[in-house]
Amino acid sequence: MQSLTFSNMSKAFGGVPALADVTLNLSSGRVHALMGENGAGKSTLIKLIAGVLKPDSISVSKNGSPLPLNDARDAHEAGFRFIHQELLIVPQVSVAENILLSRDLPHRFGFAVNWNKVQAIAEEALAFLGATHIDVTLPAGDLPAGDKMMMKIAAALVSADQNEPVLYVLDEPTAALTVEESEMLFDVIERLKAKGTAILYVSHRIDEILRICDDVTVLRDGEFVTTNEISKTSKADIIEAMTGRDFKDAYPKREISIGTETIVRLKNVDTTNLHDLSFEIRAGEILGVSGLAEAGQTQLLKLFMGVGKIKSGTASFIDEELPGSPSDAWARRVAYIPRERRGEALCLDMSVRANIVLPHLSDYGFYAKPWLENKDAHKFGAKVRLKSNDVSQPVGQLSGGNQQKIVFARAIQGNPKLLLLDEPTRGVDIGAKYDIYLLVRELSARGCSVILTSTDLPEVLGMCDRVLVMHEGRQAHLLERGEMESADLLSHFYNGHQAS
Amino acid sequence: MIQKLRQSGTLLGFVLILLFFALKLPDTFLTARNLINISQQLSMLAVVAATMTIVMVMNDFDLSVGSMASLSGIVAAMIFTAGYPVWVGLSAGLLVGVLGGLFNGFLVSVVGILPFVATLGTLTVFSGMAFLLSDGKTIFGRDIPTSFSGFARSGIEIGDIKIPMLTITAGLVIFICWCILEHTNFGRRLYAIGGNKEASHLAGIKVVRLRLIAFSLTGLGAAGAGLMYAARVASANPTQGSGLMLDAIAAVFLGMTMSRRGEPKVIYTLVGVLILGVLDNGMTQLRVDSYVREILVGLIVLAAVSVSSLSKRRQS
Ligand SMILES: Nc1ncnc2c1ncn2[C@@H]1O[C@H](COP(=O)(O)OP(=O)(O)OP(=O)(O)O)[C@@H](O)[C@H]1O
Ligand SMILES: [Mg+2]
Repeated sequence: MQSLTFSNMSKAFGGVPALADVTLNLSSGRVHALMGENGAGKSTLIKLIAGVLKPDSISVSKNGSPLPLNDARDAHEAGFRFIHQELLIVPQVSVAENILLSRDLPHRFGFAVNWNKVQAIAEEALAFLGATHIDVTLPAGDLPAGDKMMMKIAAALVSADQNEPVLYVLDEPTAALTVEESEMLFDVIERLKAKGTAILYVSHRIDEILRICDDVTVLRDGEFVTTNEISKTSKADIIEAMTGRDFKDAYPKREISIGTETIVRLKNVDTTNLHDLSFEIRAGEILGVSGLAEAGQTQLLKLFMGVGKIKSGTASFIDEELPGSPSDAWARRVAYIPRERRGEALCLDMSVRANIVLPHLSDYGFYAKPWLENKDAHKFGAKVRLKSNDVSQPVGQLSGGNQQKIVFARAIQGNPKLLLLDEPTRGVDIGAKYDIYLLVRELSARGCSVILTSTDLPEVLGMCDRVLVMHEGRQAHLLERGEMESADLLSHFYNGHQAS
Repeated sequence: MIQKLRQSGTLLGFVLILLFFALKLPDTFLTARNLINISQQLSMLAVVAATMTIVMVMNDFDLSVGSMASLSGIVAAMIFTAGYPVWVGLSAGLLVGVLGGLFNGFLVSVVGILPFVATLGTLTVFSGMAFLLSDGKTIFGRDIPTSFSGFARSGIEIGDIKIPMLTITAGLVIFICWCILEHTNFGRRLYAIGGNKEASHLAGIKVVRLRLIAFSLTGLGAAGAGLMYAARVASANPTQGSGLMLDAIAAVFLGMTMSRRGEPKVIYTLVGVLILGVLDNGMTQLRVDSYVREILVGLIVLAAVSVSSLSKRRQS
């Protein structure tokens, strides 16, 4: 068995330590989980190993002998492969080229790119993942989120040709994946493990960690807390190590019954992508929207933001037509958390403050009022347990989960009447997740209706009063939550016809 | 640390340039008269660059400002020639600027053409219109009312020094642009659009409308600069604004090397304008050949931007 040791890993940003003297031992054929709250330093650690961030200190050894690691090239030559938290893709070029991005394209006659071969290699890598449905000639930007992740995983596999991969590092790969896509990924991890590579795996979903990992290391505030074998630890222990508190990984129960007033009414609504939508939502009700990947969940949410036109049928929001544009929607107190925080929600170079108050600028009048903005940014940031140095820090410097919390803080400012949540807890740690659920419950108790879609099925079942199952853009089922479990819900996804 | 150095590098360069000329031209350079002269020479560029900043904040561009300046000068002069009072000519000139800017904004935000392409097109359109209206000739002499050209020669006297009206006008425009961009929520929104258009749209910002407004403000500024120019030389010809565009964009870029995250800011744009103006004035006095001058100015802009982008890369 081979072993890899990364020791003395330290990194500070502008004097603030993000990682302090952490040591990690990995062995071939084992999946090692790296856990910690948002901003604990997981992605920073991974970027040090990848050589993309300059460490303050690091030393690496393989089977006891030292290994040089100064830049990304060294990491690649050492056989380390990465799938980073924020997907870096080139949206304009084809899936095949994206998959072969990090290596030389195969040539014909020494100069002409052999496009057939490029496609063949890409297809082979996707087939290894079981994702044969992806068309490798499509521009990568057109792929749904889950398929993009599959593409990145395929890219990490393909770049392995020159030298045998020793280590795969996956930073929150399942955050954007649906249940069945996650299953495909776990299957691949199983196979890589059997081949004898080491795997470092980051996720906030404890259940999947318990299922697929062999060891777990926990970080807190950039410091090493503990390393354990999974079989010798428990969910409660891990949470305790991460948060320093004992925490329940559960969903707060509904305490106040749903209101009587109907907020949203849809009857036989058809748009370009959506069909046969008929449902009502009452004040304070939480409606889950679920289905296979890209069954129309995102479009349904965007419809309430005034994106997409209704072709037939009737729809109303508080007895008036649906908002006609995003600005109209925010003005009528519809708040929205888009799925892609980097592409659709945040201005990464701008401050935490500017990002939180962005949709609410008109509440501050004509002149900018920085002191009021500061106050609000602090207030709503605290509500979601945002961890940042200062509200003037650029959002791009925050950890992934904290970026997500900013989008949430923005949505709850202004006291929404309808809250649209597309993957609201993507990348958010357990403690903060629970706080977010509490906030959603609190809003709902005040009469705010919520539409929630998530690939995390327990989240949908734990939070929602009813679940709308979509199938290829069509409303397939409208289920009372009752005593339903994930498996029951899943079985409805494949069954596109009204069961009853 | 590196951040601070990167930000202040350009400012440091500016101080060095000032020192250099002060030493080389001890009698003439740092005199009140020369400085006032520089400020007057710069006033048109300052107006165009400040209003150009408004669109560049959104990551947009306006290449048509130079020909818009010429066009508005011609329009005003033609109206003077037709015997209308000064205020009619001025309003018409400014109105042309607003309309031209709106047209740019329409092409960019409603039709969805890249700003570079759209304003390259309108650059030729405006320029062609200026030639067409003026028949390619310079309008001057008795056609231009003295109350119009007198404005450029007048000033407010403080003690021995007379601050030219053109300088004061430029100062006012800069102040207004600064207020708009830094102190109104309108400005905030423009910066957000520059940060991420799609996200701003989904956050309820009326991206199309704001881009229209921003472009028309830039058009207005260009037209205003055109009128200032016409007043200063007491004539209008269809190419007199053409030098403004490149200098204005260069000034904004120079300014961007000084701001914290590389975003355009009016105050820094002003420093950029001053750098360009001082270089021009100093080198003219040193009798540097005008072609050599152009090469040097180009190289200095490139150097500032390179240093800034290199140190930015070093940071991460
Ligand atoms: N470029 C940067 N400049 C300044 N601070 C940074 C930068 N990158 C990361 N940080 C800080 O380092 C800390 C650790 O961030 P990191 O991204 O490693 O967290 P994480 O454990 O991956 O969290 P998450 O679960 O949210 O992804 C955070 O406090 C973050 O604000
Ligand atoms: Mg992370």
